[in-house]
Amino acid sequence: MPSIEQVKNHLTEKFSEKVTGVEKPMESRLFIDVDKSIIRQMSNEIIEQGGRYLVSTGYDNIERDGTLGLVHSFTFDKENLFVNIRTSVPADNPELDSITPDIPNAGWSEREYIDLLGMKFTGHPKPKRLILADDWPEGIHPLRKEIPWNLMPPAAEDVAYQLDEAPEGCTTVPIGPFHPMLHEPCHFAVYVDGETVKGADYRGFMTHRGIEKLCTTQVTYNEVPYIAERICGICGSVHATAYSQSVEDAAGIKISRRSEFIRTIMLEIERLHSHLLWLGVAGHLIGFDTVFMQSWRVREQVMWLSERITGNRKTYGMIVIGGVRRDITPDIKDDIMAVMDKLEEEVKVIHRAIVKDTAIHKRTKDVGYISKEDTIKWSLVGPVARARGVDIDARRDHPYAAYDAIEFDVPVVDSCDVWGTVVVRILETFEAINIIRQVLDKMPDDGPILTEVDEDITPYIHAISAVEAPRGEVIHYLITGNENRPDRWRVRAPTYPNLQGVPMMLLNNELADVPIIVGSIDPCFSCTDRLAVIDESGNSHMLSSNELEEMSRKSGKRGR
Amino acid sequence: MDILLVFINIIVFLALAPLYEGIIRKLTAKVQSRQGPPITQPYYDLLKLLGKDNINPGNRLFNFAPMMSFAAILSVIMLLPMGHRANFLTGYADVITIIYLLTLGGIAIMLGALASKNTYAVIGASREMVTMIMIEPVLAMTFLLGAVKVQSLGIDSTMFSITTQGYSWAAGIMMVIFLMALQAFVAKQPFDTTEAEIEILEGPFIEYSGPNYALFKYSMMLKQMFYAALFVTVFIPYIATGYFVADLAIQLAEVAVVFVFISLIGSTNPRLRIDQAVKYYAVLIVAAIATVGLSVYGI
Amino acid sequence: MWLTSKIKQILMVMKPGKVTLPYPFEPRPVPENFRGQPYWDHHKCIGCGGCANHCPARTILIRDLCKELRVMVYDGSRCTYCGRCADVCPEDAITMTPQFELATDNKEDINESIELFMLTCQRCGRCYDHEITNTIDKLSFTGYRYDSIEARAVIPVSSEQFDKGLYEKSVNFKRPEKAGE
Repeated sequence: MPSIEQVKNHLTEKFSEKVTGVEKPMESRLFIDVDKSIIRQMSNEIIEQGGRYLVSTGYDNIERDGTLGLVHSFTFDKENLFVNIRTSVPADNPELDSITPDIPNAGWSEREYIDLLGMKFTGHPKPKRLILADDWPEGIHPLRKEIPWNLMPPAAEDVAYQLDEAPEGCTTVPIGPFHPMLHEPCHFAVYVDGETVKGADYRGFMTHRGIEKLCTTQVTYNEVPYIAERICGICGSVHATAYSQSVEDAAGIKISRRSEFIRTIMLEIERLHSHLLWLGVAGHLIGFDTVFMQSWRVREQVMWLSERITGNRKTYGMIVIGGVRRDITPDIKDDIMAVMDKLEEEVKVIHRAIVKDTAIHKRTKDVGYISKEDTIKWSLVGPVARARGVDIDARRDHPYAAYDAIEFDVPVVDSCDVWGTVVVRILETFEAINIIRQVLDKMPDDGPILTEVDEDITPYIHAISAVEAPRGEVIHYLITGNENRPDRWRVRAPTYPNLQGVPMMLLNNELADVPIIVGSIDPCFSCTDRLAVIDESGNSHMLSSNELEEMSRKSGKRGR
Repeated sequence: MDILLVFINIIVFLALAPLYEGIIRKLTAKVQSRQGPPITQPYYDLLKLLGKDNINPGNRLFNFAPMMSFAAILSVIMLLPMGHRANFLTGYADVITIIYLLTLGGIAIMLGALASKNTYAVIGASREMVTMIMIEPVLAMTFLLGAVKVQSLGIDSTMFSITTQGYSWAAGIMMVIFLMALQAFVAKQPFDTTEAEIEILEGPFIEYSGPNYALFKYSMMLKQMFYAALFVTVFIPYIATGYFVADLAIQLAEVAVVFVFISLIGSTNPRLRIDQAVKYYAVLIVAAIATVGLSVYGI
Repeated sequence: MWLTSKIKQILMVMKPGKVTLPYPFEPRPVPENFRGQPYWDHHKCIGCGGCANHCPARTILIRDLCKELRVMVYDGSRCTYCGRCADVCPEDAITMTPQFELATDNKEDINESIELFMLTCQRCGRCYDHEITNTIDKLSFTGYRYDSIEARAVIPVSSEQFDKGLYEKSVNFKRPEKAGE
């Protein structure tokens, strides 16, 4: 596992004629500017050296030098190192090599920029529309700066997404956009032969809200955390923290240790409530409503605790650039400790009651199998990867907030199925309680909880930050801008790579297992879909409910 | 008097089946630490459904299927000797008729599902078919056990054979097998793969609404109550008080106890997949056949 | 295994009993830090416009009706209850009340408005130097203009670099009507 100097030297020597610049703003971040012809070789070289692909960010640089930029981000987990390869293409002919044939997880990132920036990737195996609606007109690429944030093009009639062909002899079972097993709208077309699943195709991004475009054109730096918090209904603080950290890295703002500890408490409280929520949902998806009700009853205490600390059950509004907004006073600290004790007891009771239940084992063991090699090849993250023996955790590998001062374990199991994810998440719940206790003990008293930022933030600085959400790792890539707002902000939620691995997990399982497999990645489609599509034009090209009813059903009189 | 018993059967079942369903829902809610609906909630549900629109995807079979299912289950109820007295119709049929009519009810659900031309309904129909094929033999074996003892297939003699002629080992084992299959008969967790699968598929009733759906729901409730009453009639020793009304009341109280059992098992188990359920049923069939074999040898 | 798990599950559920709260038949108090609807104390407000400047949802509107009259309108239907206005107010005129039961069928019920008489400068006779300190101009910098405070119309501003032709093509698009408008 190479150190940052070794990586930098190795890459600059190997590709020396095409490397145009290297930046190392801090010990753990490396930015390499290259010519566009070698990105594929360089990416493969990094993967061979032991790196892991994270995300690609495209941005519009037209007004400065007439190009569109693209950044591929990688990480060396064991060395706490982020390596970003930056390249650019001229705006009138934006053609690039695709890295998807070697790194399958880049498939969606590149499709995103085909839609949103108009780039072309040669060699991409499936250059279909990903984000934009099917009737969005060609030629209008929303992330380009010339397109206003509230453009509403006219809707088209009779346009539908072309799903993949079903394999031989299979029927298509459409799951979604509205289905009781999904929390949010998305479409899985599952190809079944009898009851066995032989393939799946996914069409999502139905809950995109234009957040990235909005935050780079309408709001200022310090208003973005409030919007970032609302990207997801379950893991909001994670996005606010990742964004704030990336701005603080880019601008060189140093926040007080106390506010870092308070941020850690909020993040772990969020992890607690998210894992208990998932446990309930998993129980509901296998038909075991009692686990659902009991674990949500236990979770309710965490929600009341959040309301006591922050003023709201979910949208905490606590984490802003420069620190946090409210302090943990001694009586709040006593409340937290009391709730943690009670919570630990009750989660132990639930754990003991379900860990040996063979009925639950029957529904979750050997379901959703995907091997460790495939997990690494597809760059899956979070409890999904940790259940398959892949030991990655952004809290330990890339320490942020107060995690460098806390001791905790990262549970990893080897069972490669859904039961593994259940075990990993329950163990993580106990670890979270442990972390909160340590943080409350060790909380220092230095400095204000909100550091004032007096100077303007220098524009056009790149920064990347990673935070461990309950579902996996969240990556935010930020380019600071002028006018007191970011120039480009890319949010990669953990469900983004995990959803790309779902069709593999569904193969050769029964149809009745589809919900629990999709549920085992803990999908958060709101986090995934946040991208820059302007207001949906409303479903005015689809039939209204009256017409639909008349066409397919006859209402009223019986016996017609 | 015997003809009056037929009507009393119908009225008691129609009036009390939603109440027992309400008991299941209330107990499930208590197990889940919440308040739950009032016990009379299924009555309100049925009334609400009757007030809604009947939407038909366009063929007569769709409207006919719930009527067939309701008619089948009512016919079975009319034949059941409640209060340990055979009524007017009991002598006109035998146990094969009961099995046939119950199967007819299952077929009605499948026909209704296939008539709606919906992918989910087709999958639900295929699961219902598999379940029916695998679980009806257990019922047949129960009747056969009684029939072997009294050497006849008449309803009252078969059903009263165990309680009047004493318990044998075979009868005890058959009681346990029937209890293990009871959850599948009444289509509750862990065996509700067909109808209540709202998470995974909407099941065979996905296209139904309004009065059609009310009829189906009512038939499901009546079927539940019938199986519980069957268990009580065949296996629970009869307490003779001499008055019909008292006998009936005692039997209905025992049915309520069976429902408590159903709801406790139902709320503490996840739902099994159809292939896992099939393996479980296969074991039950083999055990049931073995038990009948034991009883032939007089054990 | 299965049986012992089931017994443990039944024991697990017997201890807490019924947890359903009888809300709304009994009121449910909220903790003291709760962020409910904000309330302006008109005695303390000095009309600085800081709350309007900081509101991320652009819910607070400020307009000078004439040289001496400044109107502030809070449109409760868009508020996200973040509490930034209360944090930034220099006179502590805004408090986040514990009010959360705000459902109503008339939007006017949750709106608040203040009219303030402003003093004029003794030397130049104006209230504020409109070109530099006007909050309206600051807000239009971020993309919004409020042309009519009565109608509370939000007219978005496009950036100058956009291709006019492309914009013309989309200008005839009719936004779907909301029910009741």
